[in-house]
Amino acid sequence: MKKSPAELTNRELLEKIELDALAAELDWQRAPESERARRPRVVGRRLRILMIGWEWPPSHSGGLGVHSFELATELTKMGHTITFLSPFPGPYTPVQGVTFRSPADEPDEPFPGAYTIGGSPAGWKEGDIERFNAWIAGFPIGHHDVIHVHDWFGTVGGSELARRTHRPLVMTIHSTEYDRSLGHPWAEILHREHVGLEAAGLVIAVSEHLKRQLVERYGIRPEKIRVIYNAVRPSERLVPLSGRRKIVLYLGRLAAMKGVDTFLRAAARVASSQPDALFVVAGEGPEYGRLLVMAAHLGVSDRVLFLGKVTEEERLALLASASVFVLPSVVEPFGIAAAEAMAAGIPAIVSKTSGIAEITDSVFTVDFWDIDEFASRISELLNYPALRRAMGAAGRRSVMREGWEERALQTVGVYFELVKDGRR
Amino acid sequence: MVLYLHLHQPWRLARFRYLDLGSGRPYIDERRNLEIFRGIAGRCYRPALARLAEALETYPDFRLSLSVTGTWLEQATRAAPDVLRTLQRIVRTGQVSLLSETYYHSLAFLLPPPELHEEVELHRAALQREFGVRPKVLRMTELAYSDELSRFAEAERFHGMLVEGWEGILRGQPPTYVYCAAPAPTVMLLARHYMLSDDVGFRFSSREWSEYPLTAEKYVGWIAATPGEVVNLFMDFETFGEHHPASSGILEFLSALPRTVRATPGLSWATVEEAVELPPRESLYAPMTVSWADQNRDLGAWLGNDLQRSAFEAAKKVGVLARRAADPEILEEWRKLLTSDHFYYMYVGGHGADAGVHQYFSSYGSPYDAYANYMNALMDLRSRSLERISEEHVSETGGRIRAK
Repeated sequence: MKKSPAELTNRELLEKIELDALAAELDWQRAPESERARRPRVVGRRLRILMIGWEWPPSHSGGLGVHSFELATELTKMGHTITFLSPFPGPYTPVQGVTFRSPADEPDEPFPGAYTIGGSPAGWKEGDIERFNAWIAGFPIGHHDVIHVHDWFGTVGGSELARRTHRPLVMTIHSTEYDRSLGHPWAEILHREHVGLEAAGLVIAVSEHLKRQLVERYGIRPEKIRVIYNAVRPSERLVPLSGRRKIVLYLGRLAAMKGVDTFLRAAARVASSQPDALFVVAGEGPEYGRLLVMAAHLGVSDRVLFLGKVTEEERLALLASASVFVLPSVVEPFGIAAAEAMAAGIPAIVSKTSGIAEITDSVFTVDFWDIDEFASRISELLNYPALRRAMGAAGRRSVMREGWEERALQTVGVYFELVKDGRR
Repeated sequence: MVLYLHLHQPWRLARFRYLDLGSGRPYIDERRNLEIFRGIAGRCYRPALARLAEALETYPDFRLSLSVTGTWLEQATRAAPDVLRTLQRIVRTGQVSLLSETYYHSLAFLLPPPELHEEVELHRAALQREFGVRPKVLRMTELAYSDELSRFAEAERFHGMLVEGWEGILRGQPPTYVYCAAPAPTVMLLARHYMLSDDVGFRFSSREWSEYPLTAEKYVGWIAATPGEVVNLFMDFETFGEHHPASSGILEFLSALPRTVRATPGLSWATVEEAVELPPRESLYAPMTVSWADQNRDLGAWLGNDLQRSAFEAAKKVGVLARRAADPEILEEWRKLLTSDHFYYMYVGGHGADAGVHQYFSSYGSPYDAYANYMNALMDLRSRSLERISEEHVSETGGRIRAK
């Protein structure tokens, strides 16, 4: 007869617990892959994370907003809680377990905050950055175990807060000022990057390429850097747009580092030989006007469609419909946009330096300046359906192999390198 | 014991962009290919042939069988003529058999006749010219074999063919006897002993292998202990110095082999031409094509995925035009595009070990690169063929083109 747990001796109880754990483990190994991926995994004890961010959906324009949102979502699923500090007063897409705080919450410190084209806050005034950082530095730390800062804007406050409260600091670098400015960095931002990189106990880079840059340009010891790639979330069922033209898509911010010029020049090369190709530029940014003029100069205004900022629904429709995705960035630390396109089964062409090329072979890589090669790759994908299908399917598999859950687990691993046994 | 080594180098394509269509740029970067050839000649062909020449001289009972593709001969002539001269010299010893195959190491056996016949004929002519030899034994690209191919071999009056000693063909019988083809009983079959062949071809330098390091004594001991009449050791010539670097001791192993065999009672050497004179034990059927590649031993390495099949189908269609164009240059370029290696590069993923082997041989970053580049070259050749055909048409009709 089976004993109830209450009847067991201590020794028997311990054995049973061990056996149950073993059985669960075996069961887990037997479970199909999809189920294994869904099962929440809790690593170590639950952490309280103070995350210093920038943008957050729905008002985001780039990969950083997606990254913060997805990472925080997975972390909270594992049982960790997050206080997210942002310079903007919201609205924030809510996530259970994430509390949002911004200087605008303080009654005596009204803060500018609307979000507009180009990812720069409207009405951002001289001294606002300092005030944001001072607000962070004085933030009541409470029971938070670790401070995690993304990119440069909150580093000064974040490192001051870490120093004052003896909390470990983790910094994630999504791109560097050298890259964003195409080699003409703004000294003020460089300084803020350095402050964070030096104060952080560990630094997370979103690709090996970025890690090398941190070592070579910023003099950070390689042992201090962990590479954790971005990921993509499986998207819901997509409904393709109707129409017979084959869409060659660029979707992302219109910033200088994105190399959209190359996209337009390649389009001009390809346009005459591919009469049914439609080139679509979706996104907004400081380059918008210049690119419009450039398309006119190249004589492809009738072949390139500038959509401006697209809604989530429009974005999904584009991803469901495009034949080829092009990300010709001069610099691309990771390239979430390409990963999302690949997740939708679209074959992608990215520049050689893109971080995403480190995690998959199922993508064409081209030197960012090689317009002929971009044009050739686009034509090849448009003309060889077998290639489009094979690359689309393989690309999808390769970017879906590891999702945000894996990335969050890796991030927790980094936290625990600094937060040991609950003692800081 | 039959030691058969295969010498082949493909004409690898240069990057031929889609924008290069119609530009007249060559598909093949000759310099790069010859550079690769020179590298392999230094690491493998020269040292290994020198050792084989020495062994043939020292041991008059040592026998060797070789096959040399036409593309290999073309590259050797231009990149390393001394290697070709050494080869000619060892063939003159009379201890070496050469084998027939397709000139371009191609998949011609999957094309409608007379392509296969013509390519084998081209290769025969090349061997006649370079070595003064007319082979009696045929090996098909990548050791492909099927009932249909045995009928081809019979029609071409070959005495034998090489096959993979794979269970699918042998059906439980050992590979250590001579067999004959059921549909063509005059064609003897020599079955590769893949375990013993791959011990040298794949495993020799692997430190994870339980038998590492492999000595000639140990190896010949295994062969002596193998029951049967003939042990067929078939492998790439590049095994010696290229797939396994000289530092692995592979060249010393090669030298020690004839010496050790001589010292072992009950063992002797034979060429493939001598071996096919043995009486056949039984006749074999092969309704499906069998090859020596990968773990499935089928044509999956070349035509296993959609990319490969689509490229091959396209090549077939362009072949019709290339023949119609009646331009020897176009036909030659097309045949170079039939070389099996191009399709091999388009292989995607697969079993761990196989994927590694494919990657090792590929000259592209990815199978998608390989496919796109190949298709560009093929499409260019297609339009050249079409141009030539319409020129012909114009001249036939005296410059008058009929209105549609």
